[in-house]
Amino acid sequence: MKRTPRKRSASLHVSPGTPQPWAAVVGAVLAALVLAGCGGSNTPPAGGDPAEPARPVGVQDPAELPTSSAAPAGSCDPRASYRPTAPMPAPGRMPSGSSMARIQQAGRLVVGVDQNNFRFGYRDPKSGNLVGFEIDLARELARAIFGSPDKVLFRAITTADRVPAIQEGRVDIVIRSMTMNCDRWEQVNFSTEYFSAGQAIMVARDSPIKGIKDLAGKKVCAATGSTSIRNIAAKAPDALPVSASDALDCLVLLQQLQVQAISTDDAILAGFAEQDKGTKILPERFTEEPYGMAMKKESVDLVAFVNGVLERIRSDGTWTRLYDRWLSSLGATPQPPAPRYRG
Amino acid sequence: MRLATLIPEVVTVTTLVREPATRAPAAAPAARLRKRAAGQFRGTPGRLALAVAALVVLGLATGIAGAVGVRQRAGLVDGAVARSGELTVAAQRLYRALSDADATAASAFLTGGVEPVALRERYQADIADAAAALSIVSGGGAGDGRGANAVARIAAQLPVYTGLVETARVYNRQGVPVGGAYLREASGVMRERLLPAAQELYTAVSEELDQARGDAGAFPWFAVALGVLTIAALVVVQRYLTRRTNRVFNIGLVVATVAAVAVVLWLGVSALVTAGRLEASHDRGSEEVSRLADARITALQARADESLTLVARGNGTSFETDYVAMMKRLDGLLGPGDADEPTRAALAAAMTEARSWNSAHGKVRQLDNDGQYAQAVTASVGTEASSTATIANRLDKQLADAIEHNSEVFRQEVRGAGGSLSGADIGIGLLAALLVIGAGAGIQRRLAEYR
Repeated sequence: MKRTPRKRSASLHVSPGTPQPWAAVVGAVLAALVLAGCGGSNTPPAGGDPAEPARPVGVQDPAELPTSSAAPAGSCDPRASYRPTAPMPAPGRMPSGSSMARIQQAGRLVVGVDQNNFRFGYRDPKSGNLVGFEIDLARELARAIFGSPDKVLFRAITTADRVPAIQEGRVDIVIRSMTMNCDRWEQVNFSTEYFSAGQAIMVARDSPIKGIKDLAGKKVCAATGSTSIRNIAAKAPDALPVSASDALDCLVLLQQLQVQAISTDDAILAGFAEQDKGTKILPERFTEEPYGMAMKKESVDLVAFVNGVLERIRSDGTWTRLYDRWLSSLGATPQPPAPRYRG
Repeated sequence: MRLATLIPEVVTVTTLVREPATRAPAAAPAARLRKRAAGQFRGTPGRLALAVAALVVLGLATGIAGAVGVRQRAGLVDGAVARSGELTVAAQRLYRALSDADATAASAFLTGGVEPVALRERYQADIADAAAALSIVSGGGAGDGRGANAVARIAAQLPVYTGLVETARVYNRQGVPVGGAYLREASGVMRERLLPAAQELYTAVSEELDQARGDAGAFPWFAVALGVLTIAALVVVQRYLTRRTNRVFNIGLVVATVAAVAVVLWLGVSALVTAGRLEASHDRGSEEVSRLADARITALQARADESLTLVARGNGTSFETDYVAMMKRLDGLLGPGDADEPTRAALAAAMTEARSWNSAHGKVRQLDNDGQYAQAVTASVGTEASSTATIANRLDKQLADAIEHNSEVFRQEVRGAGGSLSGADIGIGLLAALLVIGAGAGIQRRLAEYR
């Protein structure tokens, strides 16, 4: 708290009981001087509507939409990644000079994850630990590098911070429901696809909104810096996009009736639906959102290594086991997404 | 009551006779006629009548201005200063309770699962304390529109905040992550709305306190000037009478002069003493309270930052930066300054706690950065003597005790300031009456000699 500067009133002591017009005049002049001398104190009262509804921190309403993409969709094959390392090095024996050797040296793999995405990467409120499908995938990578699934340091990052976190080297890899697209390929490298999502719409159970056409004039929420917020602007131009720093904040906004719909990946929405039975996911899927693990543009060797690990996970049943463990609520366990490679 | 009858006739000390002609009671009839024709205030009796009128008016004016002024200042000391002082304390209490609720809610979230009973009780006590302090401040009519607006915003947003915290608790107990999102929203309401409003409220009431203190401690220039004028008039009249009569002293006028001097001295001295006590109530009381409360709140914010850094889990650099800034600020606030002995001791103890907190915090950050998250959380919110939670609580206790001590000093000094004015209004009124009667009676005697 700031202490206000001490003010000593310099006005004459004027007794109201006696008539003293001159004193009143002098008093008024002095009062004017005093007021002039501390102009800061008679600034208008700071506004703020007492009844303004609470909002999650970082909500933008209306959303500031991202600038047009550097590489538009269709200019590349977003699913195609680098061919896996062959043969794969044994755990704890990363080839010297490689990105993996550097990680091995550091003693841990630093992974940027979500701590709010139910079933994928979230903080288990009961234990306080991070758990989920993506968390277990990260542990598989650690197992491949160190021979131990525990040598991982998780850093929770926001949606908008995924690319900067990689570029600034704050994390080695991002596994955080990140859609592979041509625009992002310009900034980072992706592994092969580890999950196939698609954008859908969530509304309240009794909402009249039946599909993307009904979003006109309605507030629709998605995470800042996500592909979802761009897709809303592109596919439902008459909707009113609202962005939040985390997709989970959109669920809060929907529950507080501050938005009428959430539009993001079906996988994320499935987690929301599990947390709130008063919602429903509309059947329509209007985009494809392949999830990839993102790494530094320069670390092609790490990408090839990670793709090798993903190959093993797909073929030895680990992927199916993890899917069953975390994502069974999404429906019958599908086949793992087939890897696609460049060249 | 005619004082003149009570006072024995002027004792003639000297028989120095000056201007015997004009002194003679029996003046020429023609001259008397001329005087009557020219007006009542001509000649010695006329002048004396004028002097009586002037002295009575001056004496009454001095008495009224002095007594009313004293009453007014005494009223300000007992009312505005004491009330603003209590309001300032309540506003600080409100801010502290809100900050502590924020820090406690974050700690409870960190512990995972169902929160510990102690943290739940502390949160509930904070909310109850905040509500109690808010009702004191709003009942006290926190001054200007700014304070009232801040009260309205706090009153409107506090239930919103608690509602969000309870929602977060319910979801946390169900083991789903949306509880964390509600807690973040709650913390946002606290940091972006409630705490700034509480800060504004504090600023408004402490400005009011400064204003009231300034008014109550103002020197009664007007009444003193009237008193000095009265003394001057008495001196002039007495010199005039001495010239006209062979008597050096006129008991009535001497009494009046003594009374006038007493009025001026009483007014001046009581005003200076009051101002001195009020100054002391500021320097040794509310200023120290303000600084200590500032330190206490800064420490609480550092504590909330520490917890939120862990809640943010690797994404909390902004909280850690804020923690460093808060601890630096705390270090500056814990200097001995002009504090009295018990406060200095408390400050020194608080400084020691702050240092050990900082080194324990370093260990928490080390553990978190090394990926030992669970150990980091334990080191931060655990109940061991070495945890930052325990150290921060000890620091808080030191500061709370020092605040209590200095609040008592404030109350004592304000009581003293009020005491230095007590009886002054009646005393000054009586002295003024004595002045008027003395002057009237003294001159009446001389005037009678002309009849």
